[in-house]
Amino acid sequence: MILMLVPAVLALSISLPPQSASQPSRSAGTADHSVAFDELAQTAKRAREEIHDDDAIEAYRQALLLKPEWDEGLWYLGTLQYKKENYFEACTILRRFLAQDPGSGSGWAMLGLSEFESHDYLRAQDHLQRGMTLGLADNQKLIARVRYVIAILLTRSEQFDESMDVLFTLMTNGADTSSLVEPFGLAALRLPFLPSEIPPGRREMIRMAGTATIALEGRRNEDAEKLFSELEAKYPDQPGVHFLIGAYFLSAHPDEGIKELKQEIEISPAHVPARIRLAEEYIKQQNLDQGISLAQETLKLAPEAPLAHMVLGEGLIAKGDSAGGIRELETARDSLPDQTEILWDLFRAYSAAGRKEDASRAKDEIERLGKQEDSAH
Amino acid sequence: MLLPYVKHSEHPSARLLCSDCFGRGWALRAKAHVVAGYKNSSNTHFIDAQCYIAVMYRVFSLLALVSMASPAFPAPPQKSFDEVVKQATSARNEDRANEAIGLYREAVKMRPSWDEGWLWLGTVLYDQDRFPEAQDSFAHFVAIKPQPGPAWAMKGLCEFEMHDYPQARTDLQTWGRGDIRGGGDLTEVAAFHWAMLLTRQGEFVRALYMLADRARHDGESPPLIEAMGLASLRMPNLPEDYPAEFRERVWLAGKSAFYASMHDYARSEEYSQRLLSKYGQQPEVHYLEGTHRLFELKPADAAQEFRKELQISPQHSPAMLELARIDIDTGDQAEALSLARHATEIDPANPDAHHILGRALLAAGQTKEGSQELEAAERLAPNNAAIHFHLATAYKELGRKQDADREMSTYVSLKEKSQDLDSGERRDAKPSLEAPE
Repeated sequence: MILMLVPAVLALSISLPPQSASQPSRSAGTADHSVAFDELAQTAKRAREEIHDDDAIEAYRQALLLKPEWDEGLWYLGTLQYKKENYFEACTILRRFLAQDPGSGSGWAMLGLSEFESHDYLRAQDHLQRGMTLGLADNQKLIARVRYVIAILLTRSEQFDESMDVLFTLMTNGADTSSLVEPFGLAALRLPFLPSEIPPGRREMIRMAGTATIALEGRRNEDAEKLFSELEAKYPDQPGVHFLIGAYFLSAHPDEGIKELKQEIEISPAHVPARIRLAEEYIKQQNLDQGISLAQETLKLAPEAPLAHMVLGEGLIAKGDSAGGIRELETARDSLPDQTEILWDLFRAYSAAGRKEDASRAKDEIERLGKQEDSAH
Repeated sequence: MLLPYVKHSEHPSARLLCSDCFGRGWALRAKAHVVAGYKNSSNTHFIDAQCYIAVMYRVFSLLALVSMASPAFPAPPQKSFDEVVKQATSARNEDRANEAIGLYREAVKMRPSWDEGWLWLGTVLYDQDRFPEAQDSFAHFVAIKPQPGPAWAMKGLCEFEMHDYPQARTDLQTWGRGDIRGGGDLTEVAAFHWAMLLTRQGEFVRALYMLADRARHDGESPPLIEAMGLASLRMPNLPEDYPAEFRERVWLAGKSAFYASMHDYARSEEYSQRLLSKYGQQPEVHYLEGTHRLFELKPADAAQEFRKELQISPQHSPAMLELARIDIDTGDQAEALSLARHATEIDPANPDAHHILGRALLAAGQTKEGSQELEAAERLAPNNAAIHFHLATAYKELGRKQDADREMSTYVSLKEKSQDLDSGERRDAKPSLEAPE
């Protein structure tokens, strides 16, 4: 038993910097305190630069006992804990760091990554997004990692379309597509799992869907269509497959698209996006009664679905019910005020109804959003 | 005297957890702005002011003496307690959190008995997710003001984040016993965490009862679905610590449970079918399916599912008990007895097992043995109203009128309490936090 303890004691003595043998006391004079702190800070820096992470961690800990709000120390201790995969400790330290420097994008990003590794997904998503908003300077590697984690967390929290947007950005920015196959597949099939949570028997299907989506994005439509046929042949009863294929076909082969979406609704009767896309297509094809009825049914399933209100509004206006249509479009706009498609619908509907002021307001809003988007790019 | 809930903007001296500045949706971080006001704090301030004047008079006298004695070394100007408090309040109100933390620390150092200071300090720290430091502040507060109230919930939430789950549960229970629960968002967040801790402890039914209440109150959210999935599949885990390969079935079970709790059986069924088609050979899935069928008042379908579960998990005592319950209703006393006996052998500390066995014995005409089993159940779960009712029935049949009357009166009293807890009016002011045992 004593022999077993020896290595641990040895390791401890190695990890303790010489200064910590006599730990500086808070009650010592200010000058002693400052000297002790400076020495510990130097030791920590040296150990970190020499990649003696354990020594550096211990020295930073000791220094922070003397000066708890030392931001540089908090930062390095937090990032070293992350490096050592002590994610829970990293979170605690990085939160203290961010209390000193709440404007640090990198700080929020590191905290978010630590929370992600601790499976604290909700906070991770929030903090990573905050990190991106505040900016990560030119650290392209960190930016790519943060975007990737945001994308997979968006999928896990069932924000599939938002996840797709982030994945497309990653792809456009030159990310290695092989790392994006599973995230794309999960978002495309609307399965709220992380890549690490894919059940063993489903990986192939998800990879096929992901590869097809990447092919589509790379404008390799033939490859995508080939993969879609294989996917459909192999997994005809799996939820999400017909929706993915149907959504693609709507633009190129609308009748095929309708067939696929109907199949999806048979398999997953509560598939709200499939119902919305189908209702939209019916209205586009001037099959107004069917479109309106499907949109109304969808709203029974998901009363707050803004896009269902939008489609219903479009259908009612096309059928001549201008007041009812505008009401639905306004409901949609209230939930999605930044959706220009809804604003355009409203602009046209207000203009046709002679509501000049409302039309002008909608136009102003469209222009404002356009400018905002331009400046973001 | 306890003050009612007052928004701090309306009554600054009687501040309680304010729902206006508490939490934003499902962030589960409960960005709370808390302050005490357990007692009439204007009186407290009056007493504080009197003490303060007396103390300051002495301080100034001493300072005057010191300055006269050593004019070359004047004492550095000291801020008064009230000045520090004023500055801390301004810093907090102007979102200068770090400054507020420093000032509150200074103030509680000057006056460690200042409960309100500890509460504000804890709240500002909590707002920054600095849970160990916030927990310490709330611990100071409850040491001064131990009555159950919002600070216990805040302390419990900090402990949850620090992974000190047993203490978190104890503190949340203390909070739940109180009359003042705090703002709606605190109740929402604390009840959700409490339910997760119940799941972790294996108290799945109680957890689901609370989560279903949350579902009806707050609607769908990914964390709620995950928590409901774990409780439905009877997995004693927290959302952050269950194996990754269980994610799909937890999600499907959670969706099914969520829609069932919203009485949207068609959608619940859609997810149940997906769960069954992919994981129908795994433990717990048919049991869950059976409970959903019971929820829909389809006992025959439910019985089928419980039998399937018993084929996959032969020692599944909850499935045995549900099936025995259905058997009692349909008159299959032999199977009911056999299943309930088996369940008590597997799980002798389970009051439900003794309760069902007692009922089965009563139904089979073995009243004396039945009453003994019911007495065993009562000892294990004294607050279960149904046990008292069945015990009253047994005593009546045995001619023990006095015992029967006592049990019936306990039953009525427990039933009234539970109805009180479930009443809509009460739910708005004080949501139900405890499932019936």
